[in-house]
Amino acid sequence: MLDPREPIIRFEHASFGFPGLIALKDISLAIYDGEFVGVIGPNGSGKTTLCRAVLGLLAPVEGHLHIFDCACNELRCHHRAKIGYLPQKGVVDRNFPVTVLETVMMGRYGALGLFKRPGKKDRDIAQEALAQVGMASHKNHALGQLSGGQQQRVFIARALAQQPKVLILDEPTTGLDITAQHNVIELVQQLHDELKLTVLLITHDINMIRSRVDRLVLLKTRLFAAAPPAEVLKPEILHQVYGKDLVITEKDLVIVEDYHHHH
Amino acid sequence: MLDLLAYDFMQRSLLAAAMVGGLCSVIGVFVVLRGLAFVGAGTSHAAFAGVTLGYLMGWPPLLLAIVFGLATVWITGWVEERGRMKLDVSIGILYTATMALGILFIGLMKNYNAEVYGYLFGSVLSVTPEELSVIGALTVLVLGLLLLFSKELYFIAFDQEMAEASGVPARQIFFLLLTLVALTVVVSLKTVGAILVFAMILIPASTAYQLTHSLATLTLYSATIGIFTSIVGVLISAFWDVPSGPAIVLLATTIFFIAVFFSPKRERRTRLVHTH
Repeated sequence: MLDPREPIIRFEHASFGFPGLIALKDISLAIYDGEFVGVIGPNGSGKTTLCRAVLGLLAPVEGHLHIFDCACNELRCHHRAKIGYLPQKGVVDRNFPVTVLETVMMGRYGALGLFKRPGKKDRDIAQEALAQVGMASHKNHALGQLSGGQQQRVFIARALAQQPKVLILDEPTTGLDITAQHNVIELVQQLHDELKLTVLLITHDINMIRSRVDRLVLLKTRLFAAAPPAEVLKPEILHQVYGKDLVITEKDLVIVEDYHHHH
Repeated sequence: MLDLLAYDFMQRSLLAAAMVGGLCSVIGVFVVLRGLAFVGAGTSHAAFAGVTLGYLMGWPPLLLAIVFGLATVWITGWVEERGRMKLDVSIGILYTATMALGILFIGLMKNYNAEVYGYLFGSVLSVTPEELSVIGALTVLVLGLLLLFSKELYFIAFDQEMAEASGVPARQIFFLLLTLVALTVVVSLKTVGAILVFAMILIPASTAYQLTHSLATLTLYSATIGIFTSIVGVLISAFWDVPSGPAIVLLATTIFFIAVFFSPKRERRTRLVHTH
């Protein structure tokens, strides 16, 4: 269990939620610099709550959460800019009258702080972020005119414009066609490899990420597993969380029923 | 027509209209984008209730308008933040309750007071030099704060949680926006009136929304439309002797429908419908 590296995110018996509703209970988990972590679990299992906790939007009701070297028992904002975030699709109004470059520039605002105008340096950073996701030629396009996959790239560029150490993506492939899904995951992998980003990728599509992530975190209110995919993707472990929704074929392909189609 | 411009009262009312038109249309951008349109309507009626209480008690009407307006937006913001009630429900209740208060205060007045009705329907042509300086000072204050915090205001209008997640003090900025909406309403009461100020906040920004995909351009268009319709509306009002508030608002509404008709977004929507 001893790891020579210092964890950059550390949950210690942390619980999150509201009075009468515990979303995550007694989580102990350390995430190390440069890791690619997939977060899986059924709908309502606390995946998004985990994100919000790391972002500092939610304080633990019990236990502790340390991010970088700072204890987040109290919500602080100075480290938030170091965490880039792609929220779940549908959270943002995608017909908002904003250009691609204006969207990505917003990634600079938190880091800049109050009273400071974005300057040439910030525009350069934003343009570079757009280039990293392959959207540089679209900088003056309206956000609403892009395809779903292109919009996800722009939102990833906005996260990158924060020059983050950690990238959190909440269901980045939901609502995209298969090609776009693969392209987005491919892009995330590439950013992880090239920029040495620590990545937390929340998804319901285990097959899409199982060969890419260093570790899978399996949640259902409690932490059921946090280990390399080969150790997590075992019937006896997955059945505890998914129950009847789990189908394992002969080729050892794990298929978890896509709950998004049930709505 | 040019003779009219030589009068002091005319110069004052044109200046007042231009300031109010510019202010309303700039804050309107954030109101429309953040989905606070109904809050603007509710605030203006609350502010009017403040004015009536002022006349009833012999206290400064604009001061009470500010108190009532701020109380309304802060309660609304607080309720939304707690997630206790949907925004349109809480503002709907406050909207009608404050209007009832206003009517009650008018009923309690012993004499008919024409000035009170000026605040309801607006009378830009009767703006006094003192009122003009109050309007000027508040306009500079509100526009200055909007400019100072513009990047944060755009961000929370786009996505408040995202803004907060990336280190912007989003809650404080949201309450700042609500406060500025209340101040804008109060500034505009005398010129366009409690009923029509809402239109001045909503229409120029909604018109600009039809015409562009860029935040910066949207704000520029909205301000231009707001100032233009206010000035031309006042000229129409003076020239043909019609009330100024309706002249401004109906002119703005006409431009809005023209914009909807010629909107590049409309064409795109039609195309999308056909391809699906």
